[in-house]
Amino acid sequence: MKFQIEDVTVYFPYDHIYPEQYAYMLELKRSLDARGHSLLEMPTGTGKTIALLSLITSYSLSKPSNPVKLIYCTRTVHEMEKTLAELKLLYKYQVECLGKAARMLAIGLSSRKNLCVNDRVLKAENRDSVDAGCRKLTASWVRDLAVQNKNVELCSFFEDYDRAGDVLLPAGVYTLQDLRLLGKEKGWCPYFLARHMVKYSNVVVYSYQYLLDPKVAGIISKEMEKESVVVFDEAHNIDNVCIEALSVSVRRQTLEGATRNLSKMSQEIDRLKATDAGRLRSEYNRLVEGLAQRGNLPNNDTWLGNPILPDDILKEAVPGNIRRAEHFLSVLRRLVQYLKGRLETENVVKEGPVTFVGSINAQVGIDQKMLQFCYDRLHSLMLTLEITDTDEFLHIQTICDFATLVGTYTRGFSIIIEPFDERMPHIPDPVLQLSCHDASLAIKPVFERFQSVVITSGTLSPIDLYPRLLNFNPVVSRSFTMSLTRDCICPMVLSRGSDQLPVSTKFDLRSDPGVERNYGRLLLEMVSVVPDGVVCFFVSYSYMDGIVNSWNELGILKEVMQHKLVFIETQDVVETTLALDNYRRACDCGRGAVFFSVARGKVAEGIDFDRHYGRLVIMFGVPFQYTLSRILLARLEYLRETFQIKEGDFLTFDALRQAAQCVGRVIRSKADYGMMIFADKRYTRHDKRSKLPGWILSQLREAHLNLSTDMAVHIAKDFLRKMAQPYDKTGGGGKKTLLSQEDLEKMGIGNTDMLF
Amino acid sequence: MSERQVIKRAKYKSSIKDPGTPGVLTMKRERFVFMPSDPRSLMKLNVEFRFIIGHKFSKEAPNKKALLNLTQDKGESYIFEFDSFPDRDACRDFVAMAIAPPANAGKASSDKPSVPPSSEQLSTAEMDRRIKLLQVDSELQKLHKEFVMGGVLTEAEFWATRKKSLDEKISSKSKQRVGLKSDMIFNVKPSSDGQSNRVKYSLTPEIIHQIFAEKPAVRRAYLNLVPKKMTETDFWMKYWRAEYLHSTKNIVAAAAEAAEDEELAVFLKQDDILASEARRKIRRVDPTLDMEADEGDDYTHLPDHGLSRDVSKDLTDSQYDLYKRSFLQDLNRHAAVVLEGRSVDVELGDTRSVAEALTRLKEVESANEASNTHVEQGRSDLISRMAELEDLQGPRDHPVAPLSIKDPRDYFDSQQANAIKTLGESQSGSKHKKSILNAHEAYGSLRKSISEIKDLGLTDPIIKSEVAMKVFSELTLRISNTKYHHGKDPHESILDGLPNATKEEILHQWTSIQELLKHFWSSYPITTTYLHIKVNKVKDAMSKIYQKLQVLFGPIEIKSSVRQDFRHPVSLLVQPMTQALDAAFAHYEVDFQKRSTKSVERPNGFV
Repeated sequence: MKFQIEDVTVYFPYDHIYPEQYAYMLELKRSLDARGHSLLEMPTGTGKTIALLSLITSYSLSKPSNPVKLIYCTRTVHEMEKTLAELKLLYKYQVECLGKAARMLAIGLSSRKNLCVNDRVLKAENRDSVDAGCRKLTASWVRDLAVQNKNVELCSFFEDYDRAGDVLLPAGVYTLQDLRLLGKEKGWCPYFLARHMVKYSNVVVYSYQYLLDPKVAGIISKEMEKESVVVFDEAHNIDNVCIEALSVSVRRQTLEGATRNLSKMSQEIDRLKATDAGRLRSEYNRLVEGLAQRGNLPNNDTWLGNPILPDDILKEAVPGNIRRAEHFLSVLRRLVQYLKGRLETENVVKEGPVTFVGSINAQVGIDQKMLQFCYDRLHSLMLTLEITDTDEFLHIQTICDFATLVGTYTRGFSIIIEPFDERMPHIPDPVLQLSCHDASLAIKPVFERFQSVVITSGTLSPIDLYPRLLNFNPVVSRSFTMSLTRDCICPMVLSRGSDQLPVSTKFDLRSDPGVERNYGRLLLEMVSVVPDGVVCFFVSYSYMDGIVNSWNELGILKEVMQHKLVFIETQDVVETTLALDNYRRACDCGRGAVFFSVARGKVAEGIDFDRHYGRLVIMFGVPFQYTLSRILLARLEYLRETFQIKEGDFLTFDALRQAAQCVGRVIRSKADYGMMIFADKRYTRHDKRSKLPGWILSQLREAHLNLSTDMAVHIAKDFLRKMAQPYDKTGGGGKKTLLSQEDLEKMGIGNTDMLF
Repeated sequence: MSERQVIKRAKYKSSIKDPGTPGVLTMKRERFVFMPSDPRSLMKLNVEFRFIIGHKFSKEAPNKKALLNLTQDKGESYIFEFDSFPDRDACRDFVAMAIAPPANAGKASSDKPSVPPSSEQLSTAEMDRRIKLLQVDSELQKLHKEFVMGGVLTEAEFWATRKKSLDEKISSKSKQRVGLKSDMIFNVKPSSDGQSNRVKYSLTPEIIHQIFAEKPAVRRAYLNLVPKKMTETDFWMKYWRAEYLHSTKNIVAAAAEAAEDEELAVFLKQDDILASEARRKIRRVDPTLDMEADEGDDYTHLPDHGLSRDVSKDLTDSQYDLYKRSFLQDLNRHAAVVLEGRSVDVELGDTRSVAEALTRLKEVESANEASNTHVEQGRSDLISRMAELEDLQGPRDHPVAPLSIKDPRDYFDSQQANAIKTLGESQSGSKHKKSILNAHEAYGSLRKSISEIKDLGLTDPIIKSEVAMKVFSELTLRISNTKYHHGKDPHESILDGLPNATKEEILHQWTSIQELLKHFWSSYPITTTYLHIKVNKVKDAMSKIYQKLQVLFGPIEIKSSVRQDFRHPVSLLVQPMTQALDAAFAHYEVDFQKRSTKSVERPNGFV
């Protein structure tokens, strides 16, 4: 359908639209007009993504003189694929309406690991070896060498791409798969093609880090225009992503690896001195002139950029005492030695960056300026030494990242040294962590650089907390409710088992066999009445491991298996992916399955369990973070001091946004339906429960607040029976929940608020 | 039909308790004759098969008598006891043939001339199939008797419309594959006697099959080691020993044991075949689920970057990594295998052949995967379908699945009752609709659709899928409506309210009308004289039934044959039948006139 929002003609690829989608677009459009940032919460299952895509691309089409570019950030690659699939639908519709004028070029961008088509490089196990494998074939000096020596191997895809010159892709939507196919067909390297096309495309879809993590953003995103609209979808965890982007941890293995790297480098330097001393000299001269970087590097030579934010990178010359390669190496050696010494501690140490830098200076004579330049200097040295197997040198890179970060920032960070893991005190595992507490640091350049940043998710409650955490002023900040055609979600709080004893994952009750049995009975009862897919979330891997084992001992698991197949998320990503794939197939073929997963795990982060893939979600327990973690404590302290946020409040907020996120994956559209069970007695408390997003709370009936297993089963049966009946999709009666083009035209502008 | 007659020794019993009269049973094509061995006995029988409507027989079991019970249409029955089961079976088969398809029997000789030239030479297999079908379905048998024997339809015509059901029946005959059990049966706890330090594992062929299916490395080891290097018992001893070590969860001990014993190590190590299989499979996984790709894109979590997560780090040395195996992994693997389903057709008893069959299966599978290229396309289609929001989009063309209704009556019973209910309104409605379009508009729309077809080419369903969908949903809505109107029981319909005899009569008439109509309409347009003759024949038969309907349920006689309270519903039920017949007759008349005028006109036109 095609309709007007103020002066913009919106192309929407469906025949109908939800009223909340319309309202969402309206708010979005106003924030684009105002050239400001916005914060929008809309329940899952209301077609947020397509509303967003459709409005922003239409907005861009309506301003042909100054089209805005859309940078769409997703948390994961599979979400990226989903977004691109929706974008394909939209593009198809735009072409239908506009023909050639719908010039949309949208690409998904990912790492070499996901885009490479060179079989030899792909054989490598992990991402870093793929990156290194690529560099071995495409680095400029390798290619120079190949000109003289025919035996040097190159990547034919890259060579062909390079020969083809300034290639441009025709308009369209390119998923990673499409890029790979195209690459294979034309013989061009998809990765560099995609990197090249980022400049020309209207829509770029990639992962958060490509914008938030300075190491990656510095390489990929530095050329984005200011007139871009940046969207962070599913952004409820964005503060954590920001924090992680600026955090580094150092272990014993890191330091050992770094030592090895250093000796390898010093050998290289010695060799170079003997063969090609000129190269070292020219590097020195360049550094004297103040150029840490060698001008604009060709794309194929770059690797991870500076770990600090672009504004904080010094435009000065590298300090004199680390200009010479040998001097720099000895500085690094001293630093590694110092860190080794610090790791030998017996008790937990918590320090600020300033004191830490002070003590480095006092003990090994490395000042703050030198630390700050570590990363650039290392980068330059590695280029000079023409090192291609970068995956071998990750350890020393980590050390330099750490040094640069600790030398640059004085606030919002702390350094924590723990001799062992709190949970396993008998095993020594010293770790030194530089953890960032201030989420606003990493996202600040994004807010400053781009004219509109949209932060959106299904769960952003309480919505006033995010502007404080991220330190920005949204022009629009709104939380939408969901207009339901029928009561298609059924949240319940289960506080007691069938024997009326309370269930909880609270520390004192956690390993109580009675609680484990009650949880098991709950699952068993539920799998026998709920059709198709059932998803269970547990509070942590270790808890899940324990309870699944004890269910096995009790024979509960065996009984569950009589009703449904069981699939489990494990720490192995490959296995989990296959398990998920099988789970979907089991649901598709009607066998039915149950999936065990972990809140805060990879599955909870972005896999949808919509339609028959999830008719019921059970959240076993409240997914609090591990509260004794030093890092968390340090962060809580920072939050209290800076934002006056109470520890308890933040922990509850964080746990419940995770819980809401887990259960929210069950619904995708209003035709869909699903149940959610919060199985913990702590959910009955108002202070916990009230932190759930409004769209769940509004469906949570008074009578469903304190259930036991048998009552929950009864309600579930009732609900499923009700949902199986045919119903009127447009939601007859007073409120319309599905609008056609006609309805929209009749409604006109201005009175949309009446819908809510 | 190969045997003309069967002669067997048997006892005739008037009831099951009766000790019986010994004698000789002779079965011929038309009749069976029982001669008691004692000539004075009065138990002589001479019965024609056409009076026999059914037969029952006792189950074959060592200590049971071989009985055959022939039921007469008057309700009487003849019970014979045979000396042996094979004897009984021979008679039973003969009876079955004799009573079931009298037409088939007759066809060979008398019907031949009337068979159209296209009649195919039937193989015996085909014949058997038909006979079986007739035996199973008494209704079909009735129809067959009435029309084929009555000469309205020929044998070939009768079966031509049922080709599908013949084929389908055959395909469904092929045994349904048995799936795997969901239970993890090999994950058994050992039993111990509590006195000694010994534990006991038990092993069944079923368990072995599951182990081989879920642990390819064990399977490979079995094929390699047994019986060359060790006996089967030793092999399984080793296997359970390894399992026991795992259950103690002492990785270090397991590693130590494995270092000493090469063969034991096979069981203790992680399954390398599984690992390579996983690598292969991960490439075919739905990209919207692929978390591995996600890891490949995650630069924040470089080794040692970011915050360490909740992950409980395994702190054991990497040298033991090989021996780590969790119960969760086993669970996933088990579920995956169950989902794939059992596909080995080997007897489970033979361990070696099971192992070999499974290995072969895997090889075939991987070969298939390698050659399969359209998977990618299908996957991207699926993704785009999944991306749609179902209720925002009007219903799309759903992939057509052939409607297969085992017993059409279940479906159409409810339909019929409904159709009657709404008959009045829908009739007026359709008339009204007809007049909405004037000729010009109708022409326009026709032209449009023709040009559309020209542009796009004609795809298989001529009806627009939206229209079909609409019809379909309307129909189903009606079904649910009737159910609603008639209370909870779905089977309760008008028909059930009628006395049995009436009900059966109506149903019988209905099916025969359906059959005739099918033939009637399928023979249009009449192009050959053969069809012409057929149509005439069918039409005559239809008019006979029409008269019968009038007599039985017509407005005048209805009082006599049907009770007063059922008059209305019965007439409602009969109405669509007569209407359908009327329509057929009308068409026949029109067509007949057209043909006659044509044949008159033509000479005029030419001359």
